[in-house]
This record gives sequence, C-alpha cells and structure tokens, in this order.
Amino acid sequence: MKKIINDPDLVVSETLQGLALANPDVEYIPGVEVIARKEKTGNVGIVSGGGSGHEPAHAGYVGKGMLDAAVAGNMFSSPSPDRIIEGIRHANSGKGVLLVIKNYSGDIMNFEMAEEIAKMEGIEVDHVVVRDDVAVEDSTYSTGRRGIAGTVYVHKIAGAMAATGASLAEVKRAAEKAIAEIRSMGMAMKACTLPAVGHPNFELAEDEIEIGMGIHGEPGVERCSIQTAAELAKTLTDHIFADYNYDNSEVALLVNGLGATPIMELYILNKEVHKILEARGIKVAHNLVGNYMTAIDMAGASVTLMKLDDELKKLLLAPCHTPGLCVGD
Amino acid sequence: MKIDSKLYVDYLQNAYQLIHENEKYVTDLDLATGDGDHWSNLNKGFAALVAMEDELRSMPLDQMFMKIGMTMMATIGGSSGVLYGGAYMAASKTLKGKDHMEAADLQLVLAAMLKDIQSRGKAERGFKTMIDALAPAVDAFKEGLDQGLSDHELLAQVKEASLEGAEATKTMEAVRGRATYQADKGVGHLDPGAVTMSYQISTLCDTIAKTIE
Repeated sequence: MKKIINDPDLVVSETLQGLALANPDVEYIPGVEVIARKEKTGNVGIVSGGGSGHEPAHAGYVGKGMLDAAVAGNMFSSPSPDRIIEGIRHANSGKGVLLVIKNYSGDIMNFEMAEEIAKMEGIEVDHVVVRDDVAVEDSTYSTGRRGIAGTVYVHKIAGAMAATGASLAEVKRAAEKAIAEIRSMGMAMKACTLPAVGHPNFELAEDEIEIGMGIHGEPGVERCSIQTAAELAKTLTDHIFADYNYDNSEVALLVNGLGATPIMELYILNKEVHKILEARGIKVAHNLVGNYMTAIDMAGASVTLMKLDDELKKLLLAPCHTPGLCVGD
Repeated sequence: MKIDSKLYVDYLQNAYQLIHENEKYVTDLDLATGDGDHWSNLNKGFAALVAMEDELRSMPLDQMFMKIGMTMMATIGGSSGVLYGGAYMAASKTLKGKDHMEAADLQLVLAAMLKDIQSRGKAERGFKTMIDALAPAVDAFKEGLDQGLSDHELLAQVKEASLEGAEATKTMEAVRGRATYQADKGVGHLDPGAVTMSYQISTLCDTIAKTIE
C-alpha cells in the first residue's frame, strides 16, 4: 500500500482538516467529523454525509448553493447519530433541515435515529433517500437500490431550492423530484484499498472489469473482459435506458470517476456517451466530467443522467460555489 | 429478583470481560462472512461503558439506559451501534420512575429492545442476525413468567433459549448484513452478531442469578 497518510486511524479527521484549510467558507468540527458552513443562511439547511472514501463527497459539497453541513463516518461506514445531530444543529437556521441520505442500511438507520433525536430537541427535520444505481434491483431482502454519483445532483437541486427561501416541504419536494429523474450505472476496473486494511478489497484479473460494481466494491451484475470506451458507454447507458426512458428529453450528464481513472479516460467516455444520447434525441443541458463520487482509489467510472424540466433545469443552473462543484458566477 | 442500576453495571462489566476474552473467536466468525470488524466495534462500545461505570451506577434506571444507548451509538458505530443504541433508548421508556426492575420489568425491557431492533433493522427472526439470539430469549422469558417458574429456573431458561438461538443461525441463510453477499449466504457459519448477543443475555442471566439466594 502506497498512500499519502500519517496514520490509518487519522485519515478521516486529517482529510477534513485539510479540506477546511482549502475552503475559508467552512469550519471543521473535530471529534464529530463535521464540515459546516460558517455563514447562517436563514434558509432550510441541507445536510448529507455517509462513510468516508467518496471524496469530494460529501464535505467537498458544503458551501453556497449546496450543503450546509456534511457528516463523515469512518471509511465506508455510516456516521453515528451523535455526529449527524451535530451536523443538523450547525445547518439549522430555524427553517428546518433536510437530510440527503444515500440508500445503505447503515446510513438509513443512523440518519433516521439522528432525525428522531433532533426532533426531540425541537428542530424540524425531514429526509430524502437517493437510490440512483440501476445495477442492483429492489428486492424484499436487500436494502434496495444503492445511492451513488447521482447524489451530487440531489445536493445541487436541494441546495438551490433552499437558497430561494423555500420551505422544508418545498425543498423536500424538489429533491424527491430530482431523485425520481436520476439514474446511474457504474463499472470497476481495479479494487480499492482501505488505509486500515492495506490490501485491495477484491481481485479483478488484468483484463477483467465488473459492470455495476458498487462504490464500496459490492458485487455488480457481471464480470467481463475489458471493453473499448464506445462499448463501455453503450453497456452502461443500456442499463440506464432499460430502466428509464430519457429519449427526446433534456438531461444533465455526469461522467464520474471512481478515484484512480485518469480524467483523460473520463473525457473519452463522455464523448462516447454524448454520441449515444444524440442518437436518442437526448439534449445535454449541463455536463460534468470528473471525480465527484469516488471509491478511494478504485479505477472505473459511472454515468449518471437526470431528466430536466424547467424547474429542475433552473435549480441545476443556479449558482453554487463549493470545492467540489461550482456552477454559474 | 431485584435489578438496580448498580447490578446492571455489574452485568456490563461481566459482559465486557466475556466479549473481550473472545476476540479471536468472534473475529474469525466475522471474517468468514463479513468484514471482520464486529468484535472490535462491540468491544469498543463495552469498554466505553465500563470506563463510565461510576456515573452509570449513580443514575436512575431510565436515564442510565438512555446514557448507555447514546454511548453505544457513538462508540460502536455503523449499523450495530444504532441498533444497540436504539434498543437501549426504547427500553429506557419502559423504566420511567422505577428504581429497580423485577423479573416482569426485565422481560418488558428485552421485549422493547427486540421490537426496536426489528423495526429499525427491518429484520425478522430467521434472518441470521442478533435477533435470532434475542427473540427466543424474550419468548422464553414470557413463557417462564406465565408458568410461574422460580427466578433461578426462569433465568436458566432465558439463557438457554438465547444460546440455542445463536447456535441455530448456523444453518440459516443470511438476508441482512454482509453475509448476504456470499454465494452460500453464510450457511454453515454462526452469525457473529447473534453470538455476541447470546454472550450478553447469558451474562445478564448469570449476573442476576448470583444475587438470588
């Protein structure tokens, strides 16, 4: 394992300390591993969080027009309720707080518990759950679809809606509307290494990739040989289109890297995805290419589409300023 | 039987000792189907409780249960932390105004814990989880009370039900937790969460039994 770290046990806190130094608009709250906006907006607060290892998610999206606080758990492990409550307290300007949760059972349980406790403290709290990954189907016994890169769009839409001064119910409605229009599909080419473990968490052969692998290395839908960028674009978008019809619509497109794939390759994938979208009459109104929801040093990528109507487009293009995403002026 | 905050803290200490001694056994169980961190997380939680024993001993039962719950949530972390934490907080609500528990009160505490774990974890018995060591104990406790068993017989029956419940996870297919990702769904392996739950219930029974003539 070759990593720029001091001590595996300090990875999360030192990451957030470094991030706070690079962003004068936020403060780091030690112990509870919260990054919060210094400015109180007077609007509905947006809080997200989850296991660490997905940087810039979620702390990198704290700032004007997106999150008011992000709560970090240990590597790939949900933050506990006491940490989340601290994030809620910091994000609350008196108009309530919306939690944006990725659909993992640990996250759901911890955020719901934090919500219960915050309500007992008299803070108005509600939540939305992101389940954009089409790889794993809903089933009675699984936790259902996972939340992955599409979560970044939910942060953007919820943050933009909150910035208009909307009520908690209105912000929640906009976030749920976005969630309903978002689908993602990913693939992995190389496993990631948790700093405390020191070796990769699964093995893929030199010429092997896994379609639909989760952002913690959870199994996907199939293992196959390496494909060209054009074939990969087709494989990933086929899964998305099999689940939701985007034909002849206007969309936001995110081509996301998992951490160890060069941006150059993401641009090539992006070009191929555009070609496929064009053939289906899909117009790309906004396009992100880069590392937005990573899996430490996993190699691979995901494609996310969000279908836009006038409201979602306006909220998507509203200004935001965070280390992870800037839109507009 | 009469269980006050002081006796309950005695139990926490004994449970911590048993958990602490079984590091290798529990971790090996967990590595067979999961990611191997269950023992270290649970051990951290009980170590934190033992470290605050003086404070806990001095608290009324309901407040002590609330404090235990908050501490477990913060120190165990992940899914187990919030499940244990939520269970203790739910149990706390059954103890308002009581300075000690009788047998029936303890049964209600365990039943409240079971109900909270089931609803929060969206899991039932037979899913190969900690519930499989807790639910049979709750049932055995209720039956024992209805049968009018002596305290010793009652505690022995609850302990036995919990240990048997944990053992029964060996043949179950996992439908919650990381073992669900295994091709064999963990069949042939004990569920580590059920094993550590049975440690706690059996230690609780033993600790109380020692105080009864």
